Amino acid sequence: MIKIEHLAKSYGDFPVLKDINAEIQRGEVISIIGPSGAGKSTFLRCLNLLERPTQGAIWFAGVNLLDPRTELTRYRQKMNMVFQSFNLFAHLSVMDNLTLAPIRLRGQSRSAAEQRAIDLLRTVGLVEKAGRFPHELSGGQQQRIAIARCLAMDPEVILFDEPTSALDPIAVGEVLPVIRRLARAGMTMVVVTHEMDFARDVAHRAWFMDEGGLYEQGTPAEIFGNPQQEKTRAFIQRIRYFQRRFQSRDYDVYGLQADLAAFCDAQALSPEVAERLRLVIDETLQRAPRLLDTPPLDLSIGYSEKTQEIELVWQAAGPAGNPLEPQSPSVPGPVATPTESLDTMVSDLAYSRVDDRNVLRMRLRQG
Amino acid sequence: MITARWTLAWALVWAALVAGCQPAERSATTTTPSTAADVAASPPRAEGHQPLRSVDDLRHATVGVLMGSAHETWVVQNLPDATLRTYKTVADVNLALGQGKVQAALYDGDVLKVLMREDPAVGRLAEPVFAFGIGVGFHQESSELRQQFDAFVAELRQNGTYDDMVRRWIDEGSTVLPDIANRADRGMLTAGVSDVGLPFIAVKDNHLVGFDIELLTRFAAHQRRELRFSNMDFGSLVAAAASRRVDLICSSIFITPERQREVAFSQPYYRMETLVGVLKSHLATTADDPSEIAGPAAPRSWWERLVASFQSNLIAEQRYRLILDGLWTTILISALSVLLGTLLGCVFCLLRMSRQPWLVWPARAYIALLRGSPVLVVLMLVYYVIFASVDLNPVVAAVLAFGMNFGAYVAEIFRSGIEGVDPGQTEAGLAMGFTPVATFRHIVLPQMLRRILPVYKGEVISLVKMTSIVGYIAVQDLTKASDIIRSRTFDAFFPLLLVALLYFLLSWVVSALLDRVQLWIDPQSRHIPGVARPGETIGPPPEPATALAAPRVAGREPR
Repeated sequence: MIKIEHLAKSYGDFPVLKDINAEIQRGEVISIIGPSGAGKSTFLRCLNLLERPTQGAIWFAGVNLLDPRTELTRYRQKMNMVFQSFNLFAHLSVMDNLTLAPIRLRGQSRSAAEQRAIDLLRTVGLVEKAGRFPHELSGGQQQRIAIARCLAMDPEVILFDEPTSALDPIAVGEVLPVIRRLARAGMTMVVVTHEMDFARDVAHRAWFMDEGGLYEQGTPAEIFGNPQQEKTRAFIQRIRYFQRRFQSRDYDVYGLQADLAAFCDAQALSPEVAERLRLVIDETLQRAPRLLDTPPLDLSIGYSEKTQEIELVWQAAGPAGNPLEPQSPSVPGPVATPTESLDTMVSDLAYSRVDDRNVLRMRLRQG
Repeated sequence: MITARWTLAWALVWAALVAGCQPAERSATTTTPSTAADVAASPPRAEGHQPLRSVDDLRHATVGVLMGSAHETWVVQNLPDATLRTYKTVADVNLALGQGKVQAALYDGDVLKVLMREDPAVGRLAEPVFAFGIGVGFHQESSELRQQFDAFVAELRQNGTYDDMVRRWIDEGSTVLPDIANRADRGMLTAGVSDVGLPFIAVKDNHLVGFDIELLTRFAAHQRRELRFSNMDFGSLVAAAASRRVDLICSSIFITPERQREVAFSQPYYRMETLVGVLKSHLATTADDPSEIAGPAAPRSWWERLVASFQSNLIAEQRYRLILDGLWTTILISALSVLLGTLLGCVFCLLRMSRQPWLVWPARAYIALLRGSPVLVVLMLVYYVIFASVDLNPVVAAVLAFGMNFGAYVAEIFRSGIEGVDPGQTEAGLAMGFTPVATFRHIVLPQMLRRILPVYKGEVISLVKMTSIVGYIAVQDLTKASDIIRSRTFDAFFPLLLVALLYFLLSWVVSALLDRVQLWIDPQSRHIPGVARPGETIGPPPEPATALAAPRVAGREPR
């Protein structure tokens, strides 16, 4: 029904979308997920040309929307949109919001349009608000009205641009069932959303977008259950990263301490976690001084909101060899068992050599 | 050299104060008894001022003059230490003198004599300050007309008409313009005049009368041209002739060398002294002045004074018609300026918001220029410079100037109104399949109008009040009407208060009208919560607000 070919969009020199190819079948529900700034909304807004793509083609009902000769308004009437901020017409009552386009664009009589509007309002449970103005309604009510307003034009596709992002949990609970019901009724929909459960349960297919491209796509079971790509996995498991580059042995200890505390605070981790992380860093640098022989040394701490796991990854250049093991017997240095006290704090210690860098992974032991 | 001669003259004549100030012949039609009485009853006297005896005493005095007059030049040159106050109309000079804001004021001798007849509180220094011939001014290049005028005056002198005019207007104090037949089949003659006061020019029964007026009327009849007067500020006269706004100017204008550089003058048709008007209470000696003996008039109640004020300022000489005509002119200029300005505002808003820089820049320049320059300056530029060589009705010039000024403001109001509408509204309209134009028409415009109307209303009201400066280009609006009345009744209070009240009423009506418009474009302002409207008849009544309180508060402001 919709076919997207080599779609690209850039603001000046800055590319936002890169070579996207995809297809949407009639009756299909697509959920688009991905981190902020991945271009999800831009992609959606390119579909109905609220943003004009820089190149590519969008085939809708056999017509290329990007062809300048295409009568755009005709196809927009068949491809309506629900916005994050509802965008109900502020100067019109709910009833007029629903009837404006059918009367003006489809030449419906007022009475017919109003009768249809009443029916639609009934399906979203808001008939009694017909005479109200948007600002008199709650966010959840406004978004349900906005959906009804879309339906009033009998569209073939509805594009949802983060329909619940501006809503509190109770209002989200008002809106999602309405969208679910539409999906069951066989409406073709493309939903950009942060509601992972919703994206998984309602969609026929899920698209993961990152860095302006369609990074991975598949069934919700594939994308959410067994993501193939590293970034998809990080996103699905909601991994938050803390990164630090060490340039010398005399790094700013207190600065690091404060930054760790802030990171843990932002992830709602207890201050003890921050303290333990600091000890692990301290201990690792003590036990493996070779890490800092060849600065820079990169430390990346990943915290999965989903599994609650914290992983530390050290990366440094230098000759191959596990930095935690003695380099050679002849070199004087800390003897005994260097990993002993570390072992009490971390688990799954693993060394690997990647791209001429020594990589050391460890997992923080929890509580 | 001139100064030396005059100093000698003062020394000789300073004591010879003229006692020619008769008690006023009061009649309701020519003066304001109440004001005159008020002034006489409580002569204001600045603390610490020495009584005035001669022109010498003026050296450190506060002196009032008419703006652009030869008097002003003289004071600047001869009384460098005096405090000079210049006023735009003779009426203002009179008021300043009567209220003691100036100690002395320089007048055309014959004008002061009329004033003294009407206002017993006013006296004068005996010695004249200087004397000049007065003439009619023409554009430098209209020498033919000027020669015709000179020949015409010579003819008047020969056949005795001239002496008759002097006798009637200046000696007898007549205020009646005789009927002068004019076939008026040879086009138009425009004359710039300023109502400097009787006997030369004043407004009576809503018509100009006086010696100068009769002279011009006779000349026009002689020329068989229809005479049209343009009543402007005295200070604007020379510029009006120099820019050919009018064919000639005549208002007891002294033929001074400075003015001769700008305009060509006829032969002097009258020689006039300049006299110094002083409140009698400021005069050092006038014991032999009969009017001094007559005490102040008996005080009257405020109600009687109000009635008398009403009588003299509105009823006498049908002065209410001046006010009504002025009011109509003010309404006309305001309404047309609002119309023109709104149209210009739309156009410039469109250009300003265009994506093409070559359309944006002219609009930006226009807006910056028009908002950055005083509307008075724009008005004068339009009338005296841009359309200098075109016979443009000053009302049209005023509408152009105010419309252009208003347009610059309206353009910015519109722009801020459009930019104030959430872009999401436009996006929603476009996404539904409306064309950009239809989106603007059905979605953006109604919301923008609602948003800008209060500011727009304020601008309209301020425009209405701003039109009060059109007197500068000889339009008789409400303010000018009050000026004319003040110049005849010497009453500041009543005309100014009346005009203030009328402007207020006008603003109030404008405000009420625009409130109506607001009601019309903003159905929500009609909306009374709880009253059922179409579509609301189905289903149970709205649930109480508390049930939805949490999501409502949180959901109202997206993001």
